Amino acid sequence: MKMDLIDPEFPKTLERFGAGSAFECFNCGSCVAVCPLVSGHFPRKMIRYAQLGATEKILRDAKDLWKCLHCGLCSRTCPRGADPGELILSLRRFTLDHWKRWPNV
Amino acid sequence: MKRVTKVVSSDSRVGVYICHCGGNISDHVDVNAVCEKISNLDGVRTAKTNSFMCSDPGQEMIIEDLRSGEIDRVVVASCAPSLHEATFRNALSRAGVNPYLYEHANIREQVSWVHHGEAATLKAERLIAAAVAKARLLKPLDPIRIEAKRHATIIGGGIAGLKAAKDLSSRGIEVVLIEKSPFLGGWTAMLDTLAPTGEKAADLVSSLAREVLEHPLVTIHSCSQVTGFEGSVGSFRLEVQKGPSDSGVPPVKDRGIFIPFRGYLPEEDEQPCKAFVVETGVIVIATGFKPYHPKNGEYGFAEFEEVVTLPRFIRMLAERDAGEGPLSIGGKEIKNIAMIHCVGSRHIPGIHEEDESGKLNEHCSRNCCSATLHAARLVRDRFPGTHVFEFYRDIRTYGRFQEDLYSKASESNVIFLRFEPESPPVVSRNPRADGSSLKVAVNDTLTFGERVEVPADLVVLSVGMQPSDVSDLIEMMKLPVGADGFLQEIHPKLRPVELSVAGIVLAGTCQAPMDTGEASAAGSAAAVKASAILAKGYVELDPFIAEVDLEKCRGNGECVKACLRQGALYLKDFDLHGEKVRKAQVDPVLCTGCGACVAVCPENAVDIRGWTISQYEAMVEAIARES
Repeated sequence: MKMDLIDPEFPKTLERFGAGSAFECFNCGSCVAVCPLVSGHFPRKMIRYAQLGATEKILRDAKDLWKCLHCGLCSRTCPRGADPGELILSLRRFTLDHWKRWPNV
Repeated sequence: MKRVTKVVSSDSRVGVYICHCGGNISDHVDVNAVCEKISNLDGVRTAKTNSFMCSDPGQEMIIEDLRSGEIDRVVVASCAPSLHEATFRNALSRAGVNPYLYEHANIREQVSWVHHGEAATLKAERLIAAAVAKARLLKPLDPIRIEAKRHATIIGGGIAGLKAAKDLSSRGIEVVLIEKSPFLGGWTAMLDTLAPTGEKAADLVSSLAREVLEHPLVTIHSCSQVTGFEGSVGSFRLEVQKGPSDSGVPPVKDRGIFIPFRGYLPEEDEQPCKAFVVETGVIVIATGFKPYHPKNGEYGFAEFEEVVTLPRFIRMLAERDAGEGPLSIGGKEIKNIAMIHCVGSRHIPGIHEEDESGKLNEHCSRNCCSATLHAARLVRDRFPGTHVFEFYRDIRTYGRFQEDLYSKASESNVIFLRFEPESPPVVSRNPRADGSSLKVAVNDTLTFGERVEVPADLVVLSVGMQPSDVSDLIEMMKLPVGADGFLQEIHPKLRPVELSVAGIVLAGTCQAPMDTGEASAAGSAAAVKASAILAKGYVELDPFIAEVDLEKCRGNGECVKACLRQGALYLKDFDLHGEKVRKAQVDPVLCTGCGACVAVCPENAVDIRGWTISQYEAMVEAIARES
């Protein structure tokens, strides 16, 4: 398994793509419970990756980002105001910015 | 309730009371049949049964029979004497009868809980018959009264010891405080700000130490250790050795300065070495803890210089001036800090490796979570460019206002990663030359068990608390030690301050991991308990000690040789009808009533009061008698 170090500076990187309050997340999982996609740990998994700066993992699973319907349920439900929906959009922008620079995207 | 009363001619009038203990006893022992049989024994004036002898009506029954003069001594057959012997002795006292005219037969733990049917009934009968046989020969005894010296000695000058010294002296009790190191304040003095309030540890230690030092009733001996111990509650005798000072601080003129990360220097340095004796009424053990020292290679400790313990890190942070720019190590900026929880705590057999002595620290050290979160928050506040990652098993910020520490660390964007004990984080060199020098890899359960690697310029190990090595005191004073290595109180809930050695009480982290506030509260509790012991001015002990029959004693000294407690038995010269004779004497304070002397005396001149040879013989006879 290939492993890469997480990037502690990722929040700064992500500023350019939006996602202002995503790092308020405390991993409660409410977003997963309400998400109509019922797909694994989406969207919490992406939030956790972003929080850690696990860019490798984000780009590895980037296709999941485009499953999001942007219905807004998670953002309305989040007890921390972390706005998961907005984070998903920001991660799409981040992924596009890295298009073809990463072998698996 | 069954009653059998009869009139017999006997000098001693025994009342026997047999307890059903709900059904605990009577489900297996035919108590009515036993009562009937016992009532026919010589010397028994009355035999009765009751559902619960320890209840008020049960005790009233005894008191009535004693007051009416029908009986003059009592046997209760019930649970173990450790539970209710004292209860029934008190009932005798309330009836105005000497409490030592009492004998206890254990027919629950020794009978109904281990035997059933006919055998149970038969054994109960035998044990009660033996108790009756002994009871007939009992003599009134008086407790040994020892004058209690209004003086307390505290061993250990940390927060708990200082607090106990302050509280005891404020009650007018003379206090001697013995501290091994040159400093006061213990491990609290090694801290900077305290969680959760943020107060300066130095301020707390200084103000408390100053109050103690200024009190005229307190004498502090630093650089001193207890080397000898004798006596018992009310009159202990401690030998103390004052060693050379090794404070490493140049001599100061004035006593009373606080040296950061050392402690409060109580007296002028360069004190002469000397040995002296302290005579004292009670002893407070406040010997504290020591932080866990990680093994070589444990999370990279001693392998990488960037791996440090939390106490070391706290000092690093404190000794750094605000204006010095970013946090750094070896001239390199610290951008990422990894903090690992539960190092040296919550060990699991089969998963964690024992130390050289085969021991594991299975306990939770309780303070490290709060201390780690507090330190993480300080880093984020003072050095916003430094990221903090906490690797934990469980966050246990127990206690008032401490859960806030977690919320605040979260708010300041400390990142938490959670591991299972069987797959702890792995610290290794980061092969990438451009980043942090170390990396910490973990299967993070918060990232769905995926492997996550975190770069780290510094790894901080949240080390737990272990008992200090007080094996010399444990050996000397026969102190009980728990399975976790900490000193063990009599009862964790109801007698949390007392040790099984009368007159010695516990304070602070020698008993269990505590934070500064808890150690301080424990110091106060110990002070209250210690002063309660001294309040009456005397202490009463059970009179079950050796007694020498001076008529029979020929002074051959066999008993003195056999005596296990030095000084409890000695030979003394008497003047008998103008003739010098040598006879054995008992020191009632030192004698523990073990009976070693009784076994060796060729003249049968020694006996244990309340447990005499003739009483034993009568018991044996009653047990062995053909029924």
